Amino acid sequence: MELGTFGAVLKFALEMETRAAAFYEAGARGGLAERFGDLARGSRKRVRRLEQARRELVNEMILESIAGLDGEVYQVELDAEAEEAERLHQARMLEETATRFYRDAAAKMPIREVVRLFERLARENEKRRARLQ
Amino acid sequence: MEYGILRNYVDGEWVASSGETLEVDNPATGEVIARVPLSTPEEVAQAVAAAKAAFEEWRETPPLVRARYMFRLKGLMEEHFEDLARTIVKEHGKTIDEARGEMRRAIENVEVAMAVPSLMMGYNAEDIAEGIDEEAVLQPVGVFCCVAPFNFPAMVPFWFLPYAVACGNTYIVKPSEVCPVSQNRLFELMDEVDFPPGVVNLVNGSKETVDALLTHPDVAGVSFVGSTPVAKHIYSTAAAHGKRAQCQAGAKNCLVVMPDAVLDRAVPNIISSAFGTAGQRCLAGALVLAVGEVYEPLKARLVDAASRIKVGYGLDEATQMGPVVSKKALDRILGYIEKGLEEGAELILDGRGVQVEGYPNGYFVGPTIFDRVRPEMTIAREEIFGPVLGIIPVADFDEALGIIEGIPYGNAASLFTSSGKWAREFKYRVKCGNIGINIGIAAPIASFPFGGMKDSFFGDLHGQGRDAIQFFTDRKVVITRWF
Repeated sequence: MELGTFGAVLKFALEMETRAAAFYEAGARGGLAERFGDLARGSRKRVRRLEQARRELVNEMILESIAGLDGEVYQVELDAEAEEAERLHQARMLEETATRFYRDAAAKMPIREVVRLFERLARENEKRRARLQ
Repeated sequence: MEYGILRNYVDGEWVASSGETLEVDNPATGEVIARVPLSTPEEVAQAVAAAKAAFEEWRETPPLVRARYMFRLKGLMEEHFEDLARTIVKEHGKTIDEARGEMRRAIENVEVAMAVPSLMMGYNAEDIAEGIDEEAVLQPVGVFCCVAPFNFPAMVPFWFLPYAVACGNTYIVKPSEVCPVSQNRLFELMDEVDFPPGVVNLVNGSKETVDALLTHPDVAGVSFVGSTPVAKHIYSTAAAHGKRAQCQAGAKNCLVVMPDAVLDRAVPNIISSAFGTAGQRCLAGALVLAVGEVYEPLKARLVDAASRIKVGYGLDEATQMGPVVSKKALDRILGYIEKGLEEGAELILDGRGVQVEGYPNGYFVGPTIFDRVRPEMTIAREEIFGPVLGIIPVADFDEALGIIEGIPYGNAASLFTSSGKWAREFKYRVKCGNIGINIGIAAPIASFPFGGMKDSFFGDLHGQGRDAIQFFTDRKVVITRWF
């Protein structure tokens, strides 16, 4: 799944965040209720931020093809019905993969504001991962 | 038909036209998505009458209040952003990213027009003679209209309408009959904004509709974007009927690449310039002038990058280049490719016959590159308006500038270099209205005028920014003495 355009990268990010929000919402129970609830709200906010970026930062002067970014590399299996330990494991994988995706994508994006956004999202993912110790 | 038979928007109401209708199709699927009426001169007269009747009350509305209408319009455009972008893709064929970029530009113009309380300020001087003061006030003029092209169907009317209306004029848009849908959708939003009836009007149609606008005595001015022959017709007809006119016309834009250019950055930018919107924009790079030893490595990189462009349906986010707008456009572009071969240019990347899976009826032509193009060839002189790039090897900077000088158009030109000296020479000497230095698409943002010289522009004041404020106002001088 080659992510060869600005729109394709943003769409992938939006789908990843939407999926994350759904996973955390559905998996917010037991000992993970509070943390997953917070992460779900955070993911929804990130969706809004990404939608805003897609709407406002597209710029035809620097709308160039993107090479070397493959969405397959950033897939994570998520099952909100799994046991608590497994859900926690999946959440950690999700946050680590998202960190990697945003860092890799930031290096490819031609628009400085998007680079800043992706770097910020990656830093947030690291903090979110730390909450899942 | 997804969008049905389009209607006109006159005097704050949607009204059906009695004119015959044309099909509007999706250039990727060939499917008919709407029918557009060709409004009659009588229907044009009704729109002009409504706009004229609305003018006095609208001009008396304080600029700050008029600006608030623009705020509301911007809000609605943001809210419906994605839907409008998708509509542009369906009627035009460009990619969804390009359509989003177009919508962004349209909104930017609304944002700049919001500053009308400041932009419309006049100026004054005390004591121009003993006890006498003088002031210049900017006043709106009356009814203006816009004749829009197919290639940026949502954006181009917004180079004009927000400024005209914010300045207190009333307005009529005649959208492209090839791609009228997004502009009709934008007027649905303007209806929600609830402008006073007659302030903004939309009349669908073609040449007869345009001529009715151009010759109507109550139309004060016209803004046009399109081909050079039509621009000349509109400019001369408008002038003959005492109207203001600003006519943005055709282009043949050169991209000069110096041996010291940073090719890693230049090549993707050139590719985007030449093949973005399938080459159907007046800022598209059409000719690469490769200076000296950069020629061979540049050629190899351009062919490699262009051959990897993914051609497809614009609504697929992975698509990097969509179809051209119509069968007629496709045939014209294929004709130019044949002409290039006949005249001896070397076809080093052939976009003919490209097949897109799932879209057998689409008007697709892939990225095409000609090498060894000579300045006298048809493909070096005429606007192709498609994804066809020509490479001309040149010995030095001056030869490149000579070729640009010999082209009748003067819309845009770009230079790729690491040298400030060459950059300065280029922007100083080249007679084009939009200059890019290490930018292949020199697209002015809304607060700057959209330039154009030679056969690329007829008029003096351009679209967007302060030029637009000047075009849509008169300066009245008042000289005062009190006894």
